[in-house]
Amino acid sequence: MEFKLEAHRIVSISLGKIYNSRVQRGGIKLHKNLLVSLVLRSARQVYLSDPCPGLYLAGSAETPVPPPQQPGEPAAGPPAGWGEPPPPTVLAAWPETQPQPERPAVPDAPRAGDAEPADAVAGAGGASPGREADAAEAAWGRVAAAGGVSDLLPEGLRGARRPCGCPAGGEDRPGASPRADCCCAPRPAEDEPPAPPVVCPRKRGAAGAGGGHAGCPAPDSTPLKKPRRNLEEQPSAAEEDGEEEMETGNVANLISIFGSSFSGLLRKSPGAGREKEEAEESGAEAAEPGQICCDKPVLRDINPWSTAIVAF
Amino acid sequence: MAGAGGGGCPAGNDFQWCFSQVKGAVDEDVAEADIISTVEFNYSGDLLATGDKGGRVVIFQREQENKIRPHSRGEYNVYSTFQSHEPEFDYLKSLEIEEKINKIRWLPQQNAAHFLLSTNDKTIKLWKISERDKRAEGYNLKDEDGRLRDPFRITALRVPILKPMDLMVEASPRRIFANAHTYHINSISVNSDHETYLSADDLRINLWHLEITDRSFNIVDIKPANMEELTEVITAAEFHPHQCNVLVYSSSKGTVRLCDMRSSALCDRHSKFFEEPEDPSSRSFFSEIISSISDVKFSHSGRYMMTRDYLSVKVWDLNMESRPVETHQVHEYLRSKLCSLYENDCIFDKFECCWNGSDSAVMTGSYNNFFRMFDRSTRRDVTLEASRESSKPRASLKPRKVCAGGKRKKDEISVDSLDFNKKILHTAWHPVDNVIAVAATNNLYIFQDKAN
Repeated sequence: MEFKLEAHRIVSISLGKIYNSRVQRGGIKLHKNLLVSLVLRSARQVYLSDPCPGLYLAGSAETPVPPPQQPGEPAAGPPAGWGEPPPPTVLAAWPETQPQPERPAVPDAPRAGDAEPADAVAGAGGASPGREADAAEAAWGRVAAAGGVSDLLPEGLRGARRPCGCPAGGEDRPGASPRADCCCAPRPAEDEPPAPPVVCPRKRGAAGAGGGHAGCPAPDSTPLKKPRRNLEEQPSAAEEDGEEEMETGNVANLISIFGSSFSGLLRKSPGAGREKEEAEESGAEAAEPGQICCDKPVLRDINPWSTAIVAF
Repeated sequence: MAGAGGGGCPAGNDFQWCFSQVKGAVDEDVAEADIISTVEFNYSGDLLATGDKGGRVVIFQREQENKIRPHSRGEYNVYSTFQSHEPEFDYLKSLEIEEKINKIRWLPQQNAAHFLLSTNDKTIKLWKISERDKRAEGYNLKDEDGRLRDPFRITALRVPILKPMDLMVEASPRRIFANAHTYHINSISVNSDHETYLSADDLRINLWHLEITDRSFNIVDIKPANMEELTEVITAAEFHPHQCNVLVYSSSKGTVRLCDMRSSALCDRHSKFFEEPEDPSSRSFFSEIISSISDVKFSHSGRYMMTRDYLSVKVWDLNMESRPVETHQVHEYLRSKLCSLYENDCIFDKFECCWNGSDSAVMTGSYNNFFRMFDRSTRRDVTLEASRESSKPRASLKPRKVCAGGKRKKDEISVDSLDFNKKILHTAWHPVDNVIAVAATNNLYIFQDKAN
């Protein structure tokens, strides 16, 4: 479990770096961001491949994040646009925002394949840093065995997620995580009913460049495709213009991983000059006066603790 | 060393490095603009150029042997200072373009003037540095102070004469090579034909002619059609020192590709591919980052090349692609600290490396103002420090040692007390003599071998 915490910590650090890179002088450094995204992906894989459900409880106990949202009300409070606190659905893969009361009922039941008892997990919550390196390596070995880091959605990962049960309400990694991740592929559409008001507006914003996808992704192909499609459209549009943008495609990788919550990140990248024009119809952005790159609205979609990092 | 005590071989590679000079402010408070970002000797070694984050270039010239002041021989003094690049703003992309000088490369000298290429993230400039030690006096059409004379007032004509004046060194931009790079330029390299040069950014390498600024040829393009599939970027590139058709470029994945421009116009397909298989036992979250190559340099002979990744320096034989012929550990004790180094961004530091004139030794920098030298023949290595404390004239540098763990001996420094803000990223070795220039943040240290 230490390596899971380690992985989580690395992920949070990486996200912070990616965010900061957007505002640093000289524009996004492609090389550094590529490396950070590789680390991010590896850490995320380790994190997700580790089958310890009870960790959510232990993990969330560790992190200083107030879990404001309840999964039972994913639709409540979530914004119609950019301007409000993120719903739990957005906080993909980061279970610390999963409300604690929910967890204890769930941990062992769906995880048939797990050997780890909940108490061991809880006990492991206080891993000493010294063991992190070893633990991380052990986890690494497991991930490597599970089969490579190359894929966004490696089979091993999918397999590991299978027993996750996707309890009703979709609070288990709903929203931004790659929907295909969930064993029940068609579920995302069903999982989302409480969430659509949350997801769609954001998607619309992200999809602004694509001409505005109406409504929720649910009836359509998996939401995962949306950000990708946007990305593909943008480069071609940019090329048609005869002018090349400095694309930070690796950031787009993250978008694919984390779905809608990072769609804003892509669009606010330095090459965003044109994207911004295309996104004009997104009322939410226009509603943020005085924002150069609409940093803040994007921010609000990121984890609250990330928000804390970049708060200024 | 020098095994059989080879007769005429003078001390061989047994260097005895002594402090020679240090340039730069002593102030503890270092202005960001003063941080040195590149160091380069010219072909003869008489000139030493530095570029900084503020876009300035400072050139030092070596003093000639002087009977009056024999000890000042070999001293480098400021020759010219000029502002090479200014910060720019790309309005279309809402991007600020830093003025930091990423690289300086000298051109071989062909006349009295000196030429160098300096580049920031987007624009390369060719600078001419020339001396003026005479000026003309006695013009007919203008006064001594430059005011035009009334032609009707001129009653007699005279021939202007040249009079000596105080030496003035002028730097003027002769060519500006702009708008050819979408990504950040990381390398420039002058070709051995002395007519062309390459510039490399994260995804592309362009070939330029020194005389032509409005066109460049793209010779390497690794940008994928779908940027989401991007897996590696170009980190450094260099032309072969003798074969004008050969170039190499390194990648963030720890590989080096050698390309031959004769094979096709677009060198996307490499002629040679240098990669050392990864050691699976040392895998970690940061394996990819530390394998990224930060610098690649051909040896002077052209037979070898050297790559620098985060923890090591590798020497490759161009004839063997499967693995390097030598691997030198620079600071292996950092392997267990990679997570902290990732947090404080040090893991992204791009260290450079350099060869000595005879290709018998290589040098690279580390943290705590340490730099490392590896003797290829004797397999000996040494860690030295660039610090004000050991900066007495001609004082010998004492070898330093880092204690990785366990009991710390006297004079050793423990890994935890290393100052990671004091990093030596840029070093240069005189092309002929044993004189080295080491950039430590805003200070430039020059060391000479006692035997010199």
